[in-house]
Parts: sequence; C-alpha cells; structure tokens
Amino acid sequence: MSDLHLNFGAQPNERPGDDDAREARHQVLATLLGAYADGELPPETASQIDAHLLGCARCRREVELHAVVSARLSREPQVLASSTFRDRVMQEIAETRLPSAPRATASRAWWQSPRIGVGAALIVLALTAALSSTRWRQDAVRARPVSARVDAVAVPLFVAILDDYRRVMAGDLPGRARDLDAVRAAVPFPVQPLRGAGASLLAAWSTDLRGEPAAVLAYRWHDRLVLEYLVAEPVFFRHPGLRAPIAAGQLVSAVSSPQGLLAWAAPQSGAILVGDVAPDELSALRVGDAVR
Amino acid sequence: MTQSALPIEEQHARFQALVLPHLDRLLRFAQRRTSSVGDAEDAVQDTCIKAWLCFADLRDAEKARPWLYRILRSVLSDVSEKSDRRRQLVDITRLEQAHEELIGGDTDVVFSEVAARLDSEMLAKALTLIPEDFATAVELHDIDGFKYHEIAEIAGIPIGTVMSRISRGRRLLAGTIIANRRAWGLGTTDAQKPSARARIGGDRSAQ
Ligand SMILES: [Zn+2]
Repeated sequence: MSDLHLNFGAQPNERPGDDDAREARHQVLATLLGAYADGELPPETASQIDAHLLGCARCRREVELHAVVSARLSREPQVLASSTFRDRVMQEIAETRLPSAPRATASRAWWQSPRIGVGAALIVLALTAALSSTRWRQDAVRARPVSARVDAVAVPLFVAILDDYRRVMAGDLPGRARDLDAVRAAVPFPVQPLRGAGASLLAAWSTDLRGEPAAVLAYRWHDRLVLEYLVAEPVFFRHPGLRAPIAAGQLVSAVSSPQGLLAWAAPQSGAILVGDVAPDELSALRVGDAVR
Repeated sequence: MTQSALPIEEQHARFQALVLPHLDRLLRFAQRRTSSVGDAEDAVQDTCIKAWLCFADLRDAEKARPWLYRILRSVLSDVSEKSDRRRQLVDITRLEQAHEELIGGDTDVVFSEVAARLDSEMLAKALTLIPEDFATAVELHDIDGFKYHEIAEIAGIPIGTVMSRISRGRRLLAGTIIANRRAWGLGTTDAQKPSARARIGGDRSAQ
C-alpha cells in the first residue's frame, strides 16, 4: 500500500434509514469506549457495550484503538531526576520556613491563586507581601497606562471571563463558530467587531457567563489570539469597580497574569478584551474605533 | 494528629518520604510542558516548595501523588502557558473526521495497518498538538497511571468529563497522526525513518 486511502463507509447489514439512529448511538457510545477499554465502567454498562460490540465493527475498532494508544503511551520512557536536582529541592525545603499560625486557611487560597512567582524567595516573599510581583507585570508598567486598574478577582464578571477565556484557550472550543448574524440574533445588544490595526476577526460565538448571555469575538492580533466579550449593559455596570471609572470616561484594566483585560462601555453593552497581553497594549485594538 | 502539631524535623521526614518518590514522574510531566529541562526542574521545585508550605492540607497520605500533580498543574499553568505550545487553534473537526475515516472503513485492513504502526514517538508528538485538556487527561491515565477518579481530583472536573476527555483525546491523537500521515511517514511502506521523527518529543530530548 503506497498511501492510506481511507473512506467513511457504511457498515454491511445496515439499512440506509438507520444512519441517523446509528450515528446518534455511536456519539453516545464514543464517549464511553475509552473508559470501557480502561476497565473504568460499572459492570452493567460494560456488558451493554459488550453486546453492542458483537455487531459493530466500527466500535470494535475504536476500542482496539483505545487499547493500542494507551499501551503505546504507557511505554513512554521514564525521566530520572538528577541527584543534583534532588539535593537542590531538599535544600530549598530545608530553607523554607513554614508560615506560622493561621496558614491552614490562608494557604489554600494561596496555592490555588493564579499569580505565584517563580522561586522560593518569591514564594516566601509572597506570603508576607501582596501577591503582585511578576516579570509580566513589570512589562505592563512600562507600557503607557491609559486605563483605571482594578483588581481582577474583585470583579465577578472578570473572573467569569477569565475562566471562559482559559477554557477556550485550552482548546475547549464552544462548538462550531457561528456567523456574526447568528451571534447578533442570540444576544440582546448590538455586536460590532473592532477594527484596530492588525486585528482580524477569526470567529464569533455566543456563550453565557454565569447565566448571562454574552457574545464572544475572537481576533487574531499580531499572531496572538485575543477574545472580546460583549455583555448586556446592566451586567457590565453591576459592579461599582467598573461603574465609577467608566462613568468618568476611563477604560478599565485588570491583570491576572499572564492575562490582561481591558473593558469599556459599548452601545447597550460592555466590551471586555482579554488576551495574554498587557491590558494597556490591548487598547491598540480599539484604534480606529470611535468610542462606541 | 495534624501535621503542623509535629516537630519540624518530623514534618520534614514525612514530607520527604511522601514527595521524593514522585519526583521523577513529576519531572516527566513537567518536561512535557516546558521548553527545557531547566524550566521543568524549576516548576517541580516550585511545586515541592508550595507542597511543603501547604503540607498541612494533605490529610490523606494515599493522596500525595494526585495532590502533587494538582499543585504542579497550577505552577505550570503559570510558567509554561506563556509558551507558544497549543496557542494555535486546533481544527478539532478535521482531526475527528480523520479518526472517523480510520475506524469507519469497510474492512479492518487499513485500520489494522495503522494501529500496528502507531508508535510511542508519534503519539508523544501528537500529544503536544491536541488541546491541553484532552492531552492532560490522556497523559495522566496512560503515562502517569492515574485512575479516572484521581484524574477528576487533579483536574478538578467531574468523572464524566474525565471519561469524555480521555475518549475524545485518544481519538484526536489518532486523528492527528492520520492527518499528518504523509509528513510523519505513516502510510508509506519503505522503512525510511520519517523526517519528523528526529524532532519528536524534541523538548524532552535534551535530558
Ligand atoms: Zn458501534
């Protein structure tokens, strides 16, 4: 065989009218076949699948594929930590004093916090000082400040947006991107893409942020992906941290390293840009747009 | 008795006994997500220090390994997410189509041939190309040997999500390999090593 010629053919013994039902069945089964191959299903579910496999070549192949992939990956070579490295870790531990008294409650929030610097010194420092020092932040300081800075975690809307952004960036894409008209139809406010230099609209979809409808526009901008979230005006103005600076005609920015956010009021809505970019840099995307 | 009530030397000893045995695996997990061995070591070192600082939170010694992975993941999401790995949008639909073509054929011939030729190097490379959430679930199970309930704990997701991520992740891996079959030399019968092989797992080769 000089190359693979693969085609998606129907199984023998199936009538054409069965296609939809068969496809739907397979969609459901497909999410279970990995767990089946791994022996992670309860016995009754596993025996249902056993029965299905008898008559379905496609699912048999899928199960075999799971087993093959899993077996080959399990042979991934082990890495050995060098003795120098082990010593270094133990040395650091020995030199790191445990924080006293009320750390049990403080530490939980602390190690789950997204903004921890690198290195023991910084971590120890971080326990006693505000958690604000990262290299990234120094970059942000160098850029010309054009906005009122708020604490990202203090604004629930920003927290919801950061969660959603991180999920999208991790590849959990919100299904098929929809066209702009479909997105416009799905939200109760106008949706107008930004026209800043170097920004091109890649995709748009609608989503919900903790139950509130939002439009999301994805831009490619200088080889980076930046998302713009649009939410209804009342949602946007709900938080006083946003209300006050916006009323004063300012943009609002926030940092949750490595992400930066930039927010402003748009017609009947609020716009929030988020990307792995210093927030004040994000303002370049708005150049060419009159304040909307 | 809580950890913090023990004398410091004893806490140290307990910590070492619980953490040191996992250092190799933590390092391997980190190396798959960083661009150099040095960065991976830094991440693991930060993980150990964080683990030490919140050692009192570890109530069940049996859970030390998933607990450490969870901390490592939070360290890595800080340090390595800045790299360009996976920054590109992956065309999941295309990969799923490729997978569908592989398993949906009329006969087993093509499938068997491909299945026989999927090797660990190709899979390791494909792991770096699929979305992080799927790759992590598959890696935690297949490479690091965690059970589904432990993966749920590490990733902070329901077990149903673990199931679908692992199922979908392995399908995407197969799809990635099929979609890249020419470039990676799969599907040609000559035994010539594909040029991409030399770079497979590139980040890791520096150890
Ligand atoms: Zn089937």
